[in-house]
Amino acid sequence: MTESATINVPVAQGNEDKYKLKMGPQHPATHGVLRVDLELDGETITDCDPKVGYLHRGFEKLAEHRTYAQNLVLTDRLDYMAAMANNVGYCEAVEKLLDIQVSNRARFLRVMVCEMARLASHLLWLATHALDIGAMTVFLYAFRERETLMEIFAELCGSRLTNTYTCLGGVRQDVTHEIMRKLDNFINEFPACIEEYETLIDTNRIWLKRTIGVAPVSAEMGLDLCLTGASLRGSGVDYDIRKHVPYAAYDQIDFEVPLGETGDTYARYRCRMEEMRQSNYILRQCIEKMPPGAIVGEDAPDLVMPTTPRKKVTADTSARQGLIKLIEDRDVYMEGDIYVATEVPKGELGFYFISDCKGKPYRMHIRSPSFIHIGALETLGKGVMVADLIAIIGTLDVVLGECDR
Amino acid sequence: MQILIILLQIAALLAIVLLHVAYTTYFERKIIGHMQVRMGPMLVGWHGLLQPIADGIKSFFKEDIIPEQADKPLFLAAPIICLVTMLASLAVLPFARGWVLADINIGLLFLFAMSSLASYGIILAGWASNSKYTFLGGMRSMAQVISYEIPMGLSLVGVMMLSGSLNLTEIVTAQGTSIFSIYLFPQIIGFFVFFIAMLAETNRVPFDLPEAETELVSGYLTEYSGMRYAMFFMAEYIGMMVMASIGTVCFLGGWNGPFEIPFFPPFWFILKVYGFLFLFIWIRATLPRYRYDQLMELGWKLLIPLALLNIFLTGLFKVFT
Amino acid sequence: MKVQYKPKRNLLGTIFQVEILQGMALTLRKLFSPPITRQYPDEKPPMYAGFRGQHALVRDPVTQDSKCIGCMRCVTVCPSRCIRIRCQQDAKGKQKVESYSIEVLRCVFCGFCVEVCPVGAVTMTELFEYASYDRESLLFDKETLLKNWDRFLEESAHDENYVNPFWRPRGVPEASLAASQRMKVPADWTIEGQFIGTSLRQPQQNGAITHTEADHA
Repeated sequence: MTESATINVPVAQGNEDKYKLKMGPQHPATHGVLRVDLELDGETITDCDPKVGYLHRGFEKLAEHRTYAQNLVLTDRLDYMAAMANNVGYCEAVEKLLDIQVSNRARFLRVMVCEMARLASHLLWLATHALDIGAMTVFLYAFRERETLMEIFAELCGSRLTNTYTCLGGVRQDVTHEIMRKLDNFINEFPACIEEYETLIDTNRIWLKRTIGVAPVSAEMGLDLCLTGASLRGSGVDYDIRKHVPYAAYDQIDFEVPLGETGDTYARYRCRMEEMRQSNYILRQCIEKMPPGAIVGEDAPDLVMPTTPRKKVTADTSARQGLIKLIEDRDVYMEGDIYVATEVPKGELGFYFISDCKGKPYRMHIRSPSFIHIGALETLGKGVMVADLIAIIGTLDVVLGECDR
Repeated sequence: MQILIILLQIAALLAIVLLHVAYTTYFERKIIGHMQVRMGPMLVGWHGLLQPIADGIKSFFKEDIIPEQADKPLFLAAPIICLVTMLASLAVLPFARGWVLADINIGLLFLFAMSSLASYGIILAGWASNSKYTFLGGMRSMAQVISYEIPMGLSLVGVMMLSGSLNLTEIVTAQGTSIFSIYLFPQIIGFFVFFIAMLAETNRVPFDLPEAETELVSGYLTEYSGMRYAMFFMAEYIGMMVMASIGTVCFLGGWNGPFEIPFFPPFWFILKVYGFLFLFIWIRATLPRYRYDQLMELGWKLLIPLALLNIFLTGLFKVFT
Repeated sequence: MKVQYKPKRNLLGTIFQVEILQGMALTLRKLFSPPITRQYPDEKPPMYAGFRGQHALVRDPVTQDSKCIGCMRCVTVCPSRCIRIRCQQDAKGKQKVESYSIEVLRCVFCGFCVEVCPVGAVTMTELFEYASYDRESLLFDKETLLKNWDRFLEESAHDENYVNPFWRPRGVPEASLAASQRMKVPADWTIEGQFIGTSLRQPQQNGAITHTEADHA
């Protein structure tokens, strides 16, 4: 390099008038550590290639060396916006695999925390989506409500973000009157808060211009891209696992699945806003219908799970304190595989287990919605402008912890 | 002796304006903070009052990083061009009757020339940093300047027609005969176009595309640090003040107010400028950001026709009165 | 359910920027509302019983030593394998805990160790400010863990009778708990005093929840 460096502007190499931009992994709007390799023609994207893996922590491999009870802590760190929903999804899957019964109260508590997690996640989605498009005040208003939820979580299970709230066969802590009073206050105030966000963006002409018609996804296209959750429901496909394959106590609760029509960014935005209202309604029902009873089932396994014996274990309650008594009458860990999906805020979170009669899964696969949604970015991102790509990343609601796991 | 007095006046004006820049940033953070139900700076001094001073000291002592691949002379010159042109435009602003450094006959044209030159600095910054984000920011800035200079100039043609002068002092004086002695009501369309073009010209939300944080990291500023970054920052805020002053002079009657303030004639002028600045900040706290092509569309398809319509109506008005 | 959209903007709304003015009115209103900021170092966040913070070993008021019996349950259950215990049998054949250490930098703060402890020896306190500049000081040995307990009692409102909700999970029948875990707890921790759906709107005798519609106003 000589002293007088020529300006090396990254355009126009011969007849090539496109240039490459590697957006991320350090970029304010890629929601973590997503990298998108772009090929730009002016500001129009001609090629879009998302690259993942910057947050890979090897959860699926780690899970093979931990008992089913211990693996729960890994699920907290998948979608850290809605750790509760992951906990519930994991426990539902393992309970089906090991055939563990859950008490009705625990089911309701699970629905309750799931919906709180959905609110927390959607609030964060709204906050960042609005911030990406430039409306920064919504960000802080949404965080204000999220903080209330986080504090309820902290009071309920001792942790704000990595909750580890459920356990196999139930939940780890019961609610108190104080928590329920706070939650009741929250759900009474929350609809007004949604109104507040909507005042700022819902009919705002700039917001409409930035979202209507951006990245339209038809129903067929959405199914082809394997989109789930609100990203698919925005296109009008009625697919909600809570409704169609109810888990926990969703079969005892009345709610509706909001469906969009046009499948563009605005429809998805409206869908999620409606979902927040529905979650609020579900929470109200949870409070009103909360049944009495124990929070862990009769046959719930102890946290200290033996890894090799194929025996049912419970905590000893009579003889020597704290030691494990093995009940010899039933095999606990069956052989085979199972796939159980739950509806987390981002979409369909599935756990696939292969069990070889041990206390640890032989293989655990996580079908994470974010990973699949990022895959859709390649299709949706072609032919739009850089500013739209940011809006699309926001509207797909990806979180990289879950994508890279 | 005459020169010395003028130099003193310039120094005083610079000091006052730079102090205003510092505290505009403070009030921007405070006001946006409170609009977002938080507090803004609280730690340095009482309610963070010394925050802008601390920020200034910090950026002054920060390392000045120049990217290896950057075109060094242009990279160094860009912020200076920005700041100097913005400071130069202060010279023709009439703060009150006689309170003006250079009462030239083409004051309004001079202001336009200077604000266009400042965008030149931004484009150079984007170009010379030799980074992709800054390059995109510079390109956006270029397009934005071309699109919004025109409606802005056209929107002020109505004012020129009514007052019959380009001299800012005379424009203010001419408004004395209008309703409430301001041109806002006869020139309401012009004011609307001017206001939007003003937001775009100063790169403020909802037109902050050249430095759109969530798209281009920081746009043309991405590679700048320390004092050079602060220079751009100062230029942006002085630009805001200059634009607010043009708005005040051309549409809101300059220093004229409901009654005279003794010993401090620029009182009403300053109050109106503060009002504009508050509006800038208020809009920033509320609105999302336009997309690049939508911005162009707004400029060419809406603002320019509106401005032309305004000229036509003003002409009719002139003919029939 | 189809999502309902708000009605389209009419011409008047377009010209007068009604929706933008509404948004600006909202932000202006918020300008004069009290901020919700918590000035952190001066103003601490509220802490609740069972917060999973700094680890501690409970100091037994009688022996002034740890209650740990070296049963290794916490070591077994720890998902991140950050607990180390070394035990030794003394002359009488009684098991004695020689060393107990927690490597905090590996800990994932799940609270499993607290939950499985049969004697309520290990706990997680409500302290969360213990960042450090070196790794060594975050490897808690037995002495540090006992000191953490002293610090916890000193800095929080709790006394030695503190019951961590993970030692005695709320809403679990008394009978299914080990004898040493049947501690004296508030009424709403037990299965009889637990919250049930119908109790929200009814004032209760214990005064835990006496709230009416007026509270929402």
